[in-house]
Amino acid sequence: MSVVDYSQELSVVEGRPPLRSLDDLIAKPLEVKPNKKFYIALSITLSMLGLFVIGLALTFWFGIGMWGNNNPVGWAFDIVNFVFWVGIGHAGTLISAILFLFRQKWRTGIARFAEGMTIFAVMTALLFPLIHVGRPWLDGWLLPYPNQHGVWTNFTSPLLWDVFAVSTYFTVSLIFWYVGLIPDFGSLRERATGKFKKIIYSTFSLGWRFSNRHWHHYEMVYLILAGFATPLVLSVHTIVSFDFAVSIIPGWHTTIFPPYFVAGAVFSGFAMVQNVLIAVRKIFNYKHIITVDTLEKMNKIMLVTGSMVGYAYAMEFFIAWYSGVQAETFTFFNRALGPYAWAYWIMVTCNVISPQLFWVKKIRRSVPVMFVIAIFVNVGMWFERFVIVVTSLSRDFLPSSWAYYTPTYVDFMILIGSFGFFFTWILLFTKALPVVSMAEVKAVVDGAQPSHKDH
Amino acid sequence: MNNSDKIKNENKGYWKSLKGYDNDPEVLKLKQNEFVDGVTDEFKSSQLPDISRRKFLALLSASAALTATACTDYRDKGEIVPYNKRPENVSPGTANFYASTCNGCSQACGIIVKTREGRPIKIDGNSDHPINKGKICTKGQASILNLYDPERLNNPTYNKRKIDWSDADANIIDALNKSRSNGKQIAIITGTVTSPTTKKVLDTFTAKYNNAKIYSYSLLNDSVRRDAWFESYGSYEYPSVKWNEANIILALDSDFLGSEGNYIENMNLFTQKREAVSKLDFNRLYAAEGRMSVTGSLADYRLRISPAQQLDFVMALTNELLKKGSAISIDSQVQAKIQKFSLEKFEKSVDKEKLTHLVEDLNANRGKSIVYAGDTLSKDVHIAVNLLNEILGNTHIYDYTRTFKTNLPLSTKMELEQLIDLMNNGKVDVVIHFNSNPVFTLAENYGYTSALKKVENVIALTESENETSSVSNFTLPINNQLENWGDAYVRGGVYSLQQPVISPIFNTRQKESVLLTWINGNPNSYTHDVYHNFLMDNFNSEIYIRKKPFSDQKSFWLSALHDGVVMLDDNIQPSKGINVSALLNAEESASNGFVLHLTSNYYLSDGKFANNGWLQELPHPITKVAWDNYAAVSPATAKEIGVEINDLVDVNVNGRNLTLPALVQPGMSDETIHVELGYGRTVCGDVGKDVGFNSIKFISKDSSISPYIYSNASIKKSSGTHKLVTTQEHHSLDDTFVKDFHRIRNIIKESTVNKYKNDSNFLHHDKHEVFSITNEHEYNGMKWAMAIDLNKCTNCSVCITSCNVENNIPVVGKPQVERGREMQWMRIDRYYSGTPEEPIVSNQPILCQHCDNAPCENVCPVNATNHSPDGLNQMVYNRCVGTRYCSNNCPYKVRRYNFFDYRDEFADAYYENDLTALVNNPEVTVRSRGVMEKCTFCVQRIMEARSNAIRDGKELKGSDVVTACQQACPTNAIVFGNANDPESDVSKFRDHNLAYHVLEELNVKPNVTYIAKLRNTHSEEIA
Repeated sequence: MSVVDYSQELSVVEGRPPLRSLDDLIAKPLEVKPNKKFYIALSITLSMLGLFVIGLALTFWFGIGMWGNNNPVGWAFDIVNFVFWVGIGHAGTLISAILFLFRQKWRTGIARFAEGMTIFAVMTALLFPLIHVGRPWLDGWLLPYPNQHGVWTNFTSPLLWDVFAVSTYFTVSLIFWYVGLIPDFGSLRERATGKFKKIIYSTFSLGWRFSNRHWHHYEMVYLILAGFATPLVLSVHTIVSFDFAVSIIPGWHTTIFPPYFVAGAVFSGFAMVQNVLIAVRKIFNYKHIITVDTLEKMNKIMLVTGSMVGYAYAMEFFIAWYSGVQAETFTFFNRALGPYAWAYWIMVTCNVISPQLFWVKKIRRSVPVMFVIAIFVNVGMWFERFVIVVTSLSRDFLPSSWAYYTPTYVDFMILIGSFGFFFTWILLFTKALPVVSMAEVKAVVDGAQPSHKDH
Repeated sequence: MNNSDKIKNENKGYWKSLKGYDNDPEVLKLKQNEFVDGVTDEFKSSQLPDISRRKFLALLSASAALTATACTDYRDKGEIVPYNKRPENVSPGTANFYASTCNGCSQACGIIVKTREGRPIKIDGNSDHPINKGKICTKGQASILNLYDPERLNNPTYNKRKIDWSDADANIIDALNKSRSNGKQIAIITGTVTSPTTKKVLDTFTAKYNNAKIYSYSLLNDSVRRDAWFESYGSYEYPSVKWNEANIILALDSDFLGSEGNYIENMNLFTQKREAVSKLDFNRLYAAEGRMSVTGSLADYRLRISPAQQLDFVMALTNELLKKGSAISIDSQVQAKIQKFSLEKFEKSVDKEKLTHLVEDLNANRGKSIVYAGDTLSKDVHIAVNLLNEILGNTHIYDYTRTFKTNLPLSTKMELEQLIDLMNNGKVDVVIHFNSNPVFTLAENYGYTSALKKVENVIALTESENETSSVSNFTLPINNQLENWGDAYVRGGVYSLQQPVISPIFNTRQKESVLLTWINGNPNSYTHDVYHNFLMDNFNSEIYIRKKPFSDQKSFWLSALHDGVVMLDDNIQPSKGINVSALLNAEESASNGFVLHLTSNYYLSDGKFANNGWLQELPHPITKVAWDNYAAVSPATAKEIGVEINDLVDVNVNGRNLTLPALVQPGMSDETIHVELGYGRTVCGDVGKDVGFNSIKFISKDSSISPYIYSNASIKKSSGTHKLVTTQEHHSLDDTFVKDFHRIRNIIKESTVNKYKNDSNFLHHDKHEVFSITNEHEYNGMKWAMAIDLNKCTNCSVCITSCNVENNIPVVGKPQVERGREMQWMRIDRYYSGTPEEPIVSNQPILCQHCDNAPCENVCPVNATNHSPDGLNQMVYNRCVGTRYCSNNCPYKVRRYNFFDYRDEFADAYYENDLTALVNNPEVTVRSRGVMEKCTFCVQRIMEARSNAIRDGKELKGSDVVTACQQACPTNAIVFGNANDPESDVSKFRDHNLAYHVLEELNVKPNVTYIAKLRNTHSEEIA
């Protein structure tokens, strides 16, 4: 490991590679036939996706009863998965929009991939509200449209806000992602040899000709969209947290939820991006584009957001005690000491303790260690949602209604399947689109921009 | 004949022209060629389109048919049969009500059956009936499902092969005649006979076949009480008790409020002196028991006394009270005997203060108290209790106007042994099981099952296959009680009639008609009204004569049928002069090992109702276990033998053993094992088969104490577990983590009569005004609300059953209950406080609270649950997509979700068939899967009352609506009506000092008000 001089701005791309070589490197996966490893990976994710399909088929055929949900615990894996995947979908837009506005150049290497992940994670997340209902063929009723029933949706329901928040976020993220892709589509169109490819890339490049005027418009649009996406990053998980915060169930009815959920979402999103990028940079040989410095910066964000999450956990306890509301106090004691204590302590270990290791610079810069910690964070964040959703419901106001929730095999099929769905998209993405923004990376290579340094 | 000749001939008669008449060749030629040249010139088949007319029509019709089928959501909706000939008095959409009598148990309560378009859909109590006063128990409520049980037998069988009734009758009549001629016995085995006319049929039968003998056996009976009464007073007819006149009640292992005697009547009378709302009038209930019964759970003071020590206890108590005086003079020998017993022995297990209170209360309330022993206790205890009541001068609490009568005494042990001897010696060649199931219910060591193998003709008259019918040659299907004629005379002065409300659905016959056919001797003599006529004749000769009404026989009969009950004058003189010589042999019980106590279960009777899903799924009133029975032991005993709930234990009594799951029951006496009877049916419909464990195996014909109590039992842990499913988690009482939450969270607010007397406002001291920052919605006009008086709730669960029937609640089955997915809209929560040894039990019926600020409503994304202008929290099933958010946000967790299509899911779609579908209330939607549901405050009844009010041009009043639970509540603890009407009962309850709402501080503004329970202790503390 090299000694890093923090007083100097670090090069985003290491080793001043020729610009042409960057194009070649990034476009390479799109231009060669997939190898065996790709097919093996794809077959694994497709098998997982198969579980998803079977699990859903069982659910649609027999009913929600195939899951472990019971009377007090109306929501369990379904909503846990939903919140988890929406959370994962937070890093992308944060990296590409907020960091863009803050002129953080190190984002360029990872932005495209993170955005792609956002799209796929939100797609995965969107499945859950659709499948968790008892009569999924009536999902359309969640949308306010004029209809012969003369019935309107209930605008006071946070679940409806969710529909708007997540679909808006998905739309804006998709547009933002696509706009960023346009110059690369242009480059790919130029490189394309096959007729078919050429037509596709030409269509998607929207007549991009690398002209100054195009760049000018592009930069403006990108900036506006970044500004547009930024509040969404904060709003989506805020609104998702309203699902809980607006209710009256102890453990849900908490004002700390919006910031706490956003921090948690960024936390888990970064962990997931980091996990996948470590694989990508190794497989595609992008070590000089997605540098250890970049990964280290991500780890720092994880350290910050992890600490925020830890603070939120502590604050919840404090408020539960300070409020003097017995039901509230009990809910939190019950989380830590009750029948679901195991889930709670998994959450604390993974989310609060493990990222604290990033204070140590060696750990922060060690790829295998950070990989493991990020996995821990993902596990922990899944359990955080489990703890919030399940433990609060399983022991609410009337002790007579309390019940323990145990998931069924179908719950696990759908959980595993959701990963299959997500990673199938990721795999197809790596072979269909440039996973690193060619245009942006070239712009941040040392020497690519006019500078007075060398004069 | 050539063509032209043919035409010529044909033309003979008619001619159109002269040329034609002359058969001009030109005309003939024209006629031969229908299509003249030139006509078809333009017709060239090659120029036509390829499509032929035939094909065109085919295509046209096919596409029309396709369009028609594709555009309709066509499902076979079954056959619709119009009322071409409308039955008299039936208008579609309007219910008809018929008075009848319930045959569920030996109490023969009066019922009113509601029918819609000819099919019975609900059973409620007959309010004209003086005993059950418009109320009926859970079994009576749920028995409607038995009528539509898909596994009812629908044809007679001989050795499992279908035969005709006439063949069966002919064969049986032959066998009967043969038996008569060769001098062998014909045995008829019946249960308790409640009907005098049935008794008469049986007598006629024995008169015709003089070698026939009637045996009567019932697993759960009052024979000990009856025999004890006979020994004390020389009469088998014992009086009922005026519970409403007793200030102090001591129940000795008697569950008179839960399962013994006519507990519907008992509850009603008892709670008349549990009045806190209109006036303060409280009796005091002491319960001395080893198990935890419903009565015990309601007691103001509960004394833990093992069932084997009840004699010692009552004798010691008598001793104590005798010292303070006696209303009668007592034989000195008996007195000397009594003096040997002392209460000191009990001070170890029972708080001394409680014993002192008991003695003082009984002493102070002489003539105003009652001591009552349980059905399962020994005869000696009953005699001692009779004596104690005499000493206390309590005899006028006995009600001799409503004595318990017998139409046919139960067979004694000796008679049954003789029968089995005869059977074993081949001296019985016909056994007729007259709707009885002795193979299941009779003690195993009678050897009945093996004796039955030596009988040539075994006949079972039964509604559905059972243990006895499975070893019978002839299985003859009999009517359900709702298809029957009948009468009952079980209580002094109360004669009730039973009438069919539907013609037999299957090829079944009434059991009395079958006997009458055999009596007649001609297999073809059967007519459907044979018993109907017999009954009318008997009615005319017995009741009409006795009653001497002014009306003619027919009118009197019809009016009696209409009322369902005829009041007679039964002049029974109070028994005088008690004989207690039996007590001279009473010895102090030696404590020897564990005591096994077998009692009746709460819902299944002797296993008769095992195939009724609604009853199987009804949670046990105390333990909340559904679909099982178990061995209940005290926490200390459980620790001693090292078992926890669900662990299998081996219970052994003199070599009779059974392995069943254990349940730790707080409040039980130590070294006592309590098992309920009636479970573990092996030959039964799919619902009840192998549910629970057959504890009848423990019963011996040679029992020393009573058939239900055995000392010298042993219990030890076995390997393995059996999951008992409960509708409420078992929170350990000593787990400080969750202890007393119902009190801390103000879910249960309880106090004592004394506290209330001193400080009537005590509930509201720490109440603070909650205000809203927005304008609250105003309810002008009607506002529906309910109030439940917890002083009167006895946990009987009739409300739940009534709700199940009224609102088409599905049965979900044991695995789903285990998952916490039971669908009952109502539940009764049970909480323990105090110590595991001396728990205080609190009950609370919970249903949708119809909150003004309902938290479920604002979270539904599709507006499927919303508020009506008259204050109902409505649920629109059609609109519900099933997000379950409403249920999550309901603080009372009263919403029920259709996780499956439960009619399809339960037991391989057991209840999903055309027959069982008939039980559904047509006014209530049958909910599909994926839909949320909950209590509607019986909105269908509100709507009916409203349309009636509109029709009659009256204003709708709150009292016009009676919800199903309210109607069924035996103690009238539930009040429903218009909260905006200050004169209504419900408003008075809402404004009462004892009124509170559950989880008031959430400010959801529930509309179900609870009246806090008061316990009548001596102090201001709950004992």
